[in-house]
Parts: sequence; structure tokens; C-alpha cells
Amino acid sequence: MDISRKSKPTASQIIFITLFLLYMIIPIIATYVFSIATRWDRSILPEGYTLQGYRDAMKNPYFLITLKNSLVLSFGSVLVSLLLIVPTVYWVHLKVRLAKPLLDILMILPFGIPGVVLALALVQVYNFAPLNRSPVLLTSAMVVFTMPFMYRSVSNNLEAIDIPTLTEAAQSLGANTIDILVKVIIPNILPGILSGSLLVFATVFAEFTLARLIVGAGFKTFPMLLVEYTRKDGTIAAGLSVISFTIAWIVSLLILWVGGKGMKTSQDVIKAH
Amino acid sequence: MAYLSLTNISKNFENVVAVKDFNLNIEKGQLVSFLGPSGCGKTTTLRMIAGFEIPDTGTIFLDGVDISNIPPNKRDIGMVFQAYALFPNMNVRENIMFGLKMQRRPKDEMIRRAENVLSLIRLENTAKRYPHQLSGGQRQRIALARALAIEPRVLLLDEPLSALDAEVRVVLRGEIRRIQSDLGITTVYVTHDQEEALSISDVVVVMNNGLIEQVGSPQEIYRKPNTRFVATFIGTANEFHGFVSDSSHVQCDEINIYSTRVGKLATGVKVVLLVRPENVEIYDQPPGRDTQNVFEGKIDTITFHGAITRLGINASGKIITADVSISSRAPVTHNQHVWLSFDPEYCQVMAE
Repeated sequence: MDISRKSKPTASQIIFITLFLLYMIIPIIATYVFSIATRWDRSILPEGYTLQGYRDAMKNPYFLITLKNSLVLSFGSVLVSLLLIVPTVYWVHLKVRLAKPLLDILMILPFGIPGVVLALALVQVYNFAPLNRSPVLLTSAMVVFTMPFMYRSVSNNLEAIDIPTLTEAAQSLGANTIDILVKVIIPNILPGILSGSLLVFATVFAEFTLARLIVGAGFKTFPMLLVEYTRKDGTIAAGLSVISFTIAWIVSLLILWVGGKGMKTSQDVIKAH
Repeated sequence: MAYLSLTNISKNFENVVAVKDFNLNIEKGQLVSFLGPSGCGKTTTLRMIAGFEIPDTGTIFLDGVDISNIPPNKRDIGMVFQAYALFPNMNVRENIMFGLKMQRRPKDEMIRRAENVLSLIRLENTAKRYPHQLSGGQRQRIALARALAIEPRVLLLDEPLSALDAEVRVVLRGEIRRIQSDLGITTVYVTHDQEEALSISDVVVVMNNGLIEQVGSPQEIYRKPNTRFVATFIGTANEFHGFVSDSSHVQCDEINIYSTRVGKLATGVKVVLLVRPENVEIYDQPPGRDTQNVFEGKIDTITFHGAITRLGINASGKIITADVSISSRAPVTHNQHVWLSFDPEYCQVMAE
């Protein structure tokens, strides 16, 4: 890297970076503080601190149920997303390069279609048992909704390595398709798979609209509980938000830690390119 | 029957002919090169042997068995790619052991075999390194070792040296030949570099536009090209267009050239006569009366190539290329008046 780039940042750079960080961090800090505040509407700082909000939140019988539902939904979506997208993108890169532009366009659609529309459409189309209003339908919807995150991360990573040649090299050494995917392709695109999984997990875990409209009260998720409390008790809602943040962070760290070793070699590879 | 035999192989890609009516027999232990310009079908043919492409027609036999419909991972054929294709997530030893792992070999055998092939390519100390920590030449050696580790029945090399520096290329092609003949492994080598093909092959297959132009030993290919394409693609040649005037002469415009190579070509047939630059003799005075095919000219260009000097001689309007070795007494000054001659033995004649 250019040495001059390592010189001290200018005052304007510091100001911009600080403003950016404040913009990102203040709401989070405020939420944390609000969740332990007794009352915070008449003074600059809260009048007192208490953990009562958390106690009340955890006393709710739905607390553990919704937490479990959301975790199942999030991990399920990540799993389905991985199983569906990684092999697909691999095949597209290997054999059907012509389909890539088509996929690229398809992957913009979830951004263009509002969640409400997607949810209502799905509810109408799959209006039959056992799919109607089921967690399975919700998971499928979540996978579609978060597909661009997984697709982009994996696709960008595949782009950086010579998939056809590596595949042929492995084939000539006697590997079958599963060996090739598991031992050659996946280890080399692990960074993309990890970041895609993180994005999908975090998005699904915090998603409200789809869950509310597709399954409703039948399969209550954590964000639904949170929204309920925003109408009843702000402190408890803030507490639930904090728990939600924390879980997302723990899961992120977990995924990064699990993939840490593979990640390192893969990054070396990308650096070497 | 030959060890590896390709019969009537054809392959088209969306109406473009890649390979047409390809017939070739390769004996066990031979190193055969497919040589030709890009797009001549040499790589496609190699990929059909490997199983990465399926021939439209024809059959490939290996050791008497039709392998045309066997998938690439079941053919027991090793391949080395131009782009190395080492697995970036594995170190050198893991790369080499990959094929053995796929064959479910015992662990101690895998380690022993990896050490063997590493010593074969003289890179014992790189076992723990990752591909990105190696130079291009080292990577290609590892790729070769990886392909050899599974003891394949046939080794395929697809322009293995094209991505390397000139110097490394020369060293490595010698290495490849040494290892190939030590192991006696049947090898097909694809290249567009004639020097490479001529220097390491038992048999050279010259290809053009999907067709075989000539199959022969490097000496045959160089000294007795069957077609004009082979004569001009391999080395350089002076071309004279004309017609056969009798059983040992070709009339080209004003000049009549004596050749012992007219063969069975009938009088009056339009032909091209080819003389390689190293078969053009140069004199600073008129040569003796018994010298055949003598012409006069003026030195037009002088290009120094190290071991030889290449001269462009203007002989009544036609530029004739001649190579003189540095030790030769031949004169080399610009615009100098010289005499040149072609030995009738070396005047190739072929129908246009």
C-alpha cells in the first residue's frame, strides 16, 4: 500500500468519521440506557436505573417461546439459503454462465418488492394445508427475502477463484461432485458463505412484517413480542431490543469463530490474487 | 492395439468444427505433443481424452477398453493445467495427497507417495507451504507432482508452461521430459510452441483447423513436412511458387530450381517450393561450377540472433531469408553483393 496513505488523518476526516460513528452508535446507546432507566422524559439523563424492565420481559411466558421461534426461524433460513444458493451459484459459475445476468437481475427483485406485497402474495398463493400460514412457508419467504445477501456474498467470492479449472483438476484426481463442493469449492468461498449467513441471520431475526402477515399469532417471533411491548411499555421494549442486539452479536461472533480457520486461509488466497 | 487410441473423433461447438476425423494411436510410454496455433483443436482433443468434453463421434480406447463414456473422475488420467489449478485452501502436501484421498489409500502410503513425488520434482522442502507462497514454476511442478501421485494411466499436460518465464520454461520442459521417461508414463502434451514440442516429444502431431496435418517424429516433422502448413508453422521457410517443369525442376517466375524432392508430382502441376533459411548457403564470390541453384543478391537486412545471424537477401526483387552461423566465413555487411545456393536435397516441393 502507498505509504502516504498511512499519514495522519486530517481534521475534516476525523470530524466525518466521528459524526458517522455517533450517527450509528447513539441510537444503540440510547436504547441500552432507556432499557435500564426508571424515568427519562423530564431530564437529560435518566432519573434512576433499574433492571425491572428485563425482569418483566423475562416473566412473560412468550419470552422464551418467541426467542426459540426466532432462533429456529433464523437458523432454518440460513440453512435453507445455504443449501439452495451455494450449489446453484456454483453450477451457474461452472456450467451456465449465461444464466448469471438473469440471476443478477432476479436478485434485485426482493429489494424492489415490499415485504407486505410479498407476504400477502404468498399467503394467497399457498392458501392450502399444510403450507398455509405455516412456519415452513415463513421460512421460505424469509429465504426469498434475504436471498440477495447470500447470493451476492457467495457469488463475489466465487468470482475471485477459477471455478471451472479447480473443478476439473479435482475431477481428474478422482473427486465426485460432492467431494469437489465440500473439499475444494466451499473451503475457498468460506468468507462469502460466512458473511452471507450473518446477513441472512441478522435480517431474519429482526424481520417483523413477513412474520406478522404470514403466520401471525400462530408462530410468534421475537420481533412480534417486541412490537407488542412498544405499545405497552417502552422500557421493556428497549430491554427486548437490547437482548435482540446481543443475540445477533453473539451469533455473529460464533459464526466468525467457527469459520475463523478456514477464513484465514481463504483471505490469504484472495490476497494472493 | 495401441495403448491409447483415438478413432474417428469429431467435435463441434455450436456449428464450429473444433476437431474433425481425428485418428491417432499412442504407444505406451510415449510422449506425444499436439502442436498447432490456437483454435486448431489440440486442447479440445486433450479434453476429450480427459473426459471433460464428449466427442460427437468416434471412440477413445485406453488399454483396449472404450473409455468414451466414462466420467473424468473414473478414468485414472492425470492432468496438468496451464493455470496450475492447485487448490488454494490446501498446502502442497494436501494438494498432492488429494487424489490419493479420493482413492481412499491408507494414510502412511499417502504420506510416502507424497514424499516420493516431491523428491521427483525436487521440491521436498515445500510440503507445508500454500500455493500462493510459491513461484509460478514451483506451482506447476507441484501440479505435475499432484497429477503423478495417483499413478495415472495417462498424463495430460495442457500448455503447462505458457504462463511461465522463458527461462523457467526451458528448465521445466527438460524436467517434464526427464520425469516422463523415468516413469515411462504415457503422456500427451499440448503446446503452441514448436520448439517445446520438437525438443521433448517422441511423436509430434501437428494440427490445424481441427485436422491433423502430420504425425511424425520431431525430425520428420522438421525435415520432411507433408504440407505447406507444417513447413511454415514449424520453423521458417522461403516459399517459391511455380510449377513442375520436369521430374527434378520447378519453374518459379524467372528462375528454375533443381530439386531432388519433386517426387511423383506431374509436369505442369502448380507447386510451392520451400527452402529453410539454414539450408541457404552464402558466398562472397561465385561458387564452383558444380554448385546447384546459385543466385545473386544483395544483403538487405541483418538480424543478430546470438548463435546465428539471419540475413534478408534481395535476389532480383525477392527477399530470401538465410541463416549463417557466427563461425561461418560468410560476409555480413549491409548492401553487400553475395551469391547464394540451395542444396537440391533440401528443396521441399509440395502441390499448392
